[in-house]
Order: sequence, then structure tokens, then C-alpha cells
Amino acid sequence: MHPYYIPATKSSPEINFDPNADKLEIRGESYPENCSQFYTPVFEWLEQYLNNTNAPIHLDMEIQYFNSSSSKALMDLFDMLDEAAGKGKSVFVNWHYHEDNETAQECGEEFQEDVLHLDFKLTSFNA
Amino acid sequence: MNKSILDYYNYLDQDGVVFYFNGPVSHSVLEGFGDIIRQNVATSKSDTNLARKVFAVMVEQMQNIIAYSIDKKEAAADASCGAGQPPSEYTYGTGQILVQREEDGFIVACSNRITTQQAERIRQKVEQINAMSKTELKDYYRRQRKAGPDKESMGAGLGFIEMARKAKKPLAIDFSPLDDTASLFSVTVNV
Repeated sequence: MHPYYIPATKSSPEINFDPNADKLEIRGESYPENCSQFYTPVFEWLEQYLNNTNAPIHLDMEIQYFNSSSSKALMDLFDMLDEAAGKGKSVFVNWHYHEDNETAQECGEEFQEDVLHLDFKLTSFNA
Repeated sequence: MNKSILDYYNYLDQDGVVFYFNGPVSHSVLEGFGDIIRQNVATSKSDTNLARKVFAVMVEQMQNIIAYSIDKKEAAADASCGAGQPPSEYTYGTGQILVQREEDGFIVACSNRITTQQAERIRQKVEQINAMSKTELKDYYRRQRKAGPDKESMGAGLGFIEMARKAKKPLAIDFSPLDDTASLFSVTVNV
């Protein structure tokens, strides 16, 4: 499978999926004009990847802000990973947030409460 | 006599208005306004979370204007738009945005014209949300996020819940009839 890379814009995050290293990263802000147009190809790639790997999956996320439409898209993404974890895959999500960003922390905690099988960790940083 | 720009300035300045806009809102306008307000309303480090709330409410409001204002222009469906290149310059909705400084926070308000038929659905939605405590809002938000939007919604159907979660008071909404078919709809959020 090919890597999937999209650079960040002001309102959409950087997507950096490396299937060779089994490392997935989403970083930035998410309030794109057309949320499904932005996330549909991301989901398509991920679905294919999940069907093609047996390795443990690591997703690192660092989203400073996301709007309500992106919130739904991210929930769908975690649901997809959670389902894979429920079927026996090892899935690790690390939600990074700046220690001063209360919203990012609370949002991470709410996603954490809404998944059942995958390993969802929150990590604060202060740099 | 018509008001001059100085009259408007004095009027807005007296009321602590830090931002007022009346006109077409596109996605790139939203990106610019949102960002500059987020950077500028925070006068101290402890204000940063407040500035983030002002920004979050503005984004939801401006996206509502773009999606639901009846004064809008849609980009042609076949416009050349590759992935990551939305035709943002060509889709806009006309509305008004107001950010006003208060003693202990900010008022973030928006308005746009809607059809009178849209009003009842919005009123029911907001009244239901306003009756909820913060804990109930959190649960409702998470349930709706799992369930997905109803068919009238153009986004995730979470915008008003998101605004209410950021607000210190219930959302204040108003529908002022303009003619037989249209009303000016406004949402005022205290953060």
C-alpha cells in the first residue's frame, strides 16, 4: 500500500499515514469547508489498510481545535478502529494535547469514553 | 440623514464591540476572521481558553451562515475542485457577525435571513437544548454524534449543542419577520 499524505491547511489537519512503519498521524486544526469531502478519502485509505495489515496500529493525534462536523468524522474514525480492535487487532491511539488547552483535553477524554476495545491514551505536553 | 462611518464607529465602540461584520461569508473569510479574533481577544494567558471558546462559537455560527442563509451563492457542482481544494471563493452565505466584550466574557452573535418554514424546526431544537444542564448537554452531544444528523441538517447536526456547551447562559434566539416568506434569525451566545 502507498503512504497517504496531505499537508495541513489553516482549517484541515496534516494526514500522515505510513503503512510501512504502521504509523498514522493526524495533526493540526479541523474545520474544513466540506468535512465529508476531506475525510472520505482518509476513511477509504484506512479501511483498505485495516484489511491488509496484521501489525499493531499506532495513531498519533494532535488536534488543537475541531468543529462539530469534524467531531462526527473523528468519532466515525475511532469507531472504525474500535471495530478492528474488537475483532482482535492491536490498536493504540495517543491523543496529544497542550496542557493549557482545556478543550483539547476534554474532547480527548470524551472520545476515550466512547470507545470500547482500542487502547486510547491521553498525553499532555507543554512545549 | 444617513449615518456616517464615524457614527457607526461611535455606536459600536460605546457598546464594547470588538468585531462586527455584515456581508457575504465564505470559508476563506471564516478562516481569516476566526483566526484574527482568536489571537486578539486574549489579552492575557489565562484568557486563552476563553479566546478558544469565542473562536469555536464563531466557527459554528459562520458555518451556519454559509450553509443556511437564504442569501447565498453555491459553487457550481462541477467546478474543478481536486481533493483539498474546495471552491471556497465561490460559495458564500450572507449574514452578520458580532463579537462584543462584556465585563466577564464575550457575546458572540450572528444573524442571517431564513425562510419562515425553517424557523419552527430551529426553535424546537434550541428550546430542547436550552432546557438541558451541562451534563445532559454532554450526553446529548455524544448520543447525537454516534447517531448522526437528521436529514435536514447539512453538517453533523451538532452546531447548536456545541454552542450551548461553550455558553454561560442559554442560547438566545430571535426570529424577526421581514416579509411573508423570510425572517431574520439570530443566535446570541454568552461565553
